[in-house]
Amino acid sequence: MSEVIGELLGVGHQYDEGPEIFKGVSFYIEKGSFHFITGQSGSGKSSLLKILYLGLKPKWGSVKLFGEDTFQIKPTLLPLLRQKIGVVFQEFNLLDHLTVIDNVSLPLRVRGVDIKRSYKHAGELLEWVGLGDCLKAYPPSLSGGQKQRAAIARAIITRPQLLLADEPTGNVDDEMASKLLCLFEELNKSGTAVLITTHNQRILKKFPYPQLALREGTVFQLPVEKKAS
Amino acid sequence: MNKDQDLPLRNDIAARFVPKIIILMVYLGTLCSTFTFFMIHSTLLWEEKLTTQLSIEIPFFSDTSSNDLQTQVTDLLQKTPGINKIEVVSKADMETLFHSLLGEDTSVDKFSLPAIVDVSLNKRDTFDVENLETRLKNISPLIQLIDHRLWQSQVSNLLFTSTSLALLLTFLILCSTLVTTFFTTRTSLLIHRKIVEVLSLIGATPSYIAKQFQRNTFKQGLFASSIGAFLAFLTFLGIYFLFEKAGHTFVVTTSFFFEALAIFILTPFITSFFMMLSARRAVMKALCS
Repeated sequence: MSEVIGELLGVGHQYDEGPEIFKGVSFYIEKGSFHFITGQSGSGKSSLLKILYLGLKPKWGSVKLFGEDTFQIKPTLLPLLRQKIGVVFQEFNLLDHLTVIDNVSLPLRVRGVDIKRSYKHAGELLEWVGLGDCLKAYPPSLSGGQKQRAAIARAIITRPQLLLADEPTGNVDDEMASKLLCLFEELNKSGTAVLITTHNQRILKKFPYPQLALREGTVFQLPVEKKAS
Repeated sequence: MNKDQDLPLRNDIAARFVPKIIILMVYLGTLCSTFTFFMIHSTLLWEEKLTTQLSIEIPFFSDTSSNDLQTQVTDLLQKTPGINKIEVVSKADMETLFHSLLGEDTSVDKFSLPAIVDVSLNKRDTFDVENLETRLKNISPLIQLIDHRLWQSQVSNLLFTSTSLALLLTFLILCSTLVTTFFTTRTSLLIHRKIVEVLSLIGATPSYIAKQFQRNTFKQGLFASSIGAFLAFLTFLGIYFLFEKAGHTFVVTTSFFFEALAIFILTPFITSFFMMLSARRAVMKALCS
């Protein structure tokens, strides 16, 4: 068994006094693994990712990331843990007052990389995701698909140990979706564990990786589907 | 791209009114601290000139006994331990004093003026004034001993109180500036909550986020407090010329002038430095709790 970098044990959550979104969810994330999280709208896929990127504290259970109990960890150590995770947010969360290249190079800058180097790296990555002509553009002027690609570039620029992507192909066509998934595969091959939420059946068929299905408030491991031609 | 632009702090609502408050605070604070230094300076200057602690009045007699009394008194003073210096006030000094009080035409010879002996004491020794007074009364019961130390200490206390109050006021103004900065930063954090959240989620440390606020606060503080200090300097010059024009002496020595100048130059830097620390404290407190 390879190294476990993420561990959820009996995790459950509910917003305020609302219904339980999920309960008793337990699974491991191994180093270099690739998983899809599937489930219908409102099944709690995004909330589960939020818990994993430390944007939400679950009501029940325990979450361990990179050997640290996220409930016990000192607040000052949280950024160090987050620096090991790359996140593609469902709403992109690009900063509107920054240009695309500034947005993408931001994770490098917060890690202390100098501006020149971070710009060079971000420029190359944006070129690769097809946004080479949008470096100086501001997010509000981009289409949904372009925002999506910029958000992905920002999430992977630091080559994180764990990549969490919330519906990363939701706003792009199939060709671009496949291209982005190939990028995630490349990243995965270099050792990054990837966890993607999606309900795109074509993607699931084309990229036959293990699926964690959220159904009726709990998680099921589904068998690997046969790769579509 | 500047490193301090991850947060759009320059367009804050807070940025519109904070500089105006800082200008006012620094203006008042600078004037107050200049006044404090002026008081300290004047007090030291005054105390330096105060050499006479006791004065002895020897009454005037028409015969030669006045001179004898003066000789006996000076002999006694010279033999008394704890006395640093004795000086008989000259006729010329008496004339100067009288002319300033009664006019230039007044002749001192018309008055039966007592002889005055000024006594300076050794500051380190304790001096028995009552004993000296008894011995002087033994020479002549009409001899008067005046102890200046009583009113001198009263004036010193008054000056010390005024200086302390001015210092306290300066400190309170600085505190108000820092409190204003603290709560403005907290408001700014709330305004940019979403961006701060994104920065945190992509791994920015509270210190990184705090630095953005620090740089912005320092720049804003330096700009606003420079204006405040400059206005205070103009006010200071205005007061100086007003006093000069009105014929009042406004004791501005060269050393005080340089001290005042240093206050006007350093205040913007000191204020903005403390404002920067206040902004950092506000961010760190909010993000690390």
